[in-house]
Amino acid sequence: MSATILVPDDLWDGDGEGSVSNWFYRDGETVQQGDTVAEVMSEKVTFELTAPVTGRLAIAVPLHGTVHKGDRIGEVG
Amino acid sequence: MPATRNDQRLWMYQTMVKSRAFEAAIKPAYFEGKLPAFNMANGPIPGEMHLSDGQEPCAVGVCVHLQPGDAVTATHRPHHVAIAKGVDLQAMAAEIFGKRAGLSGGRGGHMHLFDAKVNFCCSGIIAEGMGPAVGAALAARLQGRDGVAVSFIGEGAANQGAFHEALNLAAVWKVPAVFVIEDNAWGISVPKRACTAVARNSDRAAAYGMPGVHVEGNDPDAVCTAAGEAIARARAGEGPTLIEVETTRLEGHFMGDAEGYRPKGEVEALKARDPIPAYRRRLEQDGIEAGLLDRLEAEAKGEVDAAFAFARSTPYPAAEEAFAHVYR
Amino acid sequence: MSTAESLPAEAAAGRRLTIAKAMSEAIAQEMERDPAVLVMGEDIGRLGGVFGTTTGLLDRFGPERVRDTPISETAFIGAAVGLAAAGMRPVVELMFVDFFGVCMDAIYNLAAKQAYFSGGQVACPLVLMTSVGGGYGDAGQHSQCLYATFGHLPGLKVVTPSNAYDAKGMMTAAIRDPNPVIFMFHKALQGMGWLGTVPGSIAAVPREAYTVDLGRAAVVREGRDVTLVGLGATTHHGLDAAAELEGEGISAEVIDLRSIAPLDRETVIASVAKTGRLVVADDDYRSCGVAAEVIASVCEDGRAKLAAPPRRVTFPDVPVPFSPALEHPLLPSAAKMAAAARALVGEREPA
Repeated sequence: MSATILVPDDLWDGDGEGSVSNWFYRDGETVQQGDTVAEVMSEKVTFELTAPVTGRLAIAVPLHGTVHKGDRIGEVG
Repeated sequence: MPATRNDQRLWMYQTMVKSRAFEAAIKPAYFEGKLPAFNMANGPIPGEMHLSDGQEPCAVGVCVHLQPGDAVTATHRPHHVAIAKGVDLQAMAAEIFGKRAGLSGGRGGHMHLFDAKVNFCCSGIIAEGMGPAVGAALAARLQGRDGVAVSFIGEGAANQGAFHEALNLAAVWKVPAVFVIEDNAWGISVPKRACTAVARNSDRAAAYGMPGVHVEGNDPDAVCTAAGEAIARARAGEGPTLIEVETTRLEGHFMGDAEGYRPKGEVEALKARDPIPAYRRRLEQDGIEAGLLDRLEAEAKGEVDAAFAFARSTPYPAAEEAFAHVYR
Repeated sequence: MSTAESLPAEAAAGRRLTIAKAMSEAIAQEMERDPAVLVMGEDIGRLGGVFGTTTGLLDRFGPERVRDTPISETAFIGAAVGLAAAGMRPVVELMFVDFFGVCMDAIYNLAAKQAYFSGGQVACPLVLMTSVGGGYGDAGQHSQCLYATFGHLPGLKVVTPSNAYDAKGMMTAAIRDPNPVIFMFHKALQGMGWLGTVPGSIAAVPREAYTVDLGRAAVVREGRDVTLVGLGATTHHGLDAAAELEGEGISAEVIDLRSIAPLDRETVIASVAKTGRLVVADDDYRSCGVAAEVIASVCEDGRAKLAAPPRRVTFPDVPVPFSPALEHPLLPSAAKMAAAARALVGEREPA
């Protein structure tokens, strides 16, 4: 079963862009449900995104890539 | 420097406009290359950036009384003071962009601006500009010059050792110095009331045998009056003065500061009392023609535009220039 | 010291942290375990530290034990020395190592000498954590490393982690150490979103408390032909250089010093005894630096026969300039380390 790592729709105020400021794992590595897998920055504030399930990480948006709220940044499956 | 009160007021207004326009031009340039991924190292202006929006009255009210031979030391938030002191605007902008034509050939950057022609310097370690101001003031007397020295600091500096030592020494040596506290109530994320044992730092002057003056309202005219008296005292050989100005920090501590620690609505409330439009309204009420003020503004903004155009187009230094000026 | 010791197998599979998070987790766990531990410094309360070192501590432990200070380094570091003498365990932040000038007396005349002057009666269990490093345009008063300035003074332990696993273990060890420990964290490794982070600094970190002994270097990559020594950010340059050199048939051994004082000379000597070639990279100023100390130690010991004169890759004896056009060419880098290694491997063996 695969699950998406999403930037929550309400993570920050306004409709501004964010970016992936840190990936904690490389593509293909195993991650545990609940572990912080990435950090996203918007409007100078940093947010943590966690793995929704345990499994192998597939990165969709690389380090420093631009994101908007609701975007998918990776999959875990 | 302007002689009549009227000329002083017009100079102060235009200089505040120039300073604010400079900061307004810095902002988009600073954020180039830093959005959406804010990495401080990127873009044409890397590193930290501490803007002076809201604090212009402190700089102009004091510097209106100063000559090029008078020394000024300032802090990590220096642009408004540098501009008011008459620092070469093009060379200043070029320095902030790290160019060879900058004040120090790109070696100093935004926090370490030096212009020997107008005796201005600044540096980033809190309160450490105060000792040099004492020395500059003493030098004026030893050299038989009618010079004064002014040290600009923030209210956070009033809790640093160098503040206390420099004030005491200035008073003991009775040097022609003026110390100006720009109290914007915040030391990065810590409010003044949480870290300062007294409500007014001007009261601390009594501990150092000098007059302490408190100026309210972020008002250029009030700063001008207080500074005029202090500088006259100094030139007359009557010794140093401590001036504390209540001012406002309209931006974050540095560009990129999320300011999560600042109470909601505070910045908006302060922006509604922006000292520059407020001063314009007062000048108009006092009978100054709107057209004249418009012309002064346009001139100031033109000067800033030219400075930034120069800064962007002038070349970078070559790598080997890093080794020059380590020693004289 | 082997690589395995520096990154236990179970850690490799676990959740990962940045150095900032690892430091604040270590401090939190020690504060939980030991009521004598307290934290103070500028902006370490509500803000959680300008570099994220104290995130969450104020909410969890309250303002008596997590204290935002005025801009009064001499006073609060002096106060920390007094607290330590009285049996407390202060963790103090000096926001930028470059600010040491205003408060050095409390550090090197008081903290460093407290045990010695008292003949062992009075300890100084203080941790002074401080940010180091440049390369991002913060100019001469906010970009220095100053490893040698602190490493030179007897009585201080001086450490610098290159990754989050070491950071948590070393912070825990530092808090438990009865000596004053200067804990230097490099800004390029810290994990702050507003400053680029070297990916290799993010590591798996066990949830439970653990220590990494202070005073011990780690061999982070084994090799045969040349020894590359680094600390903090230059450890990562060494690893990058080794990867590049491997493609050219040069096998580089990479050592992460981790500790400036005490300096683990044995690990470096044992490595150079094997490889015969030494490159030391240190992003502090060149003269009288840690790289010089490492090289001098290897040479005077005599057990490691050198196939070529050792090389150091350092920041030159120049105040850190602001302009990237001036600063960037001066910084140590993987390329410079690889070039030095190639030159050493290319030199002829002595007859």
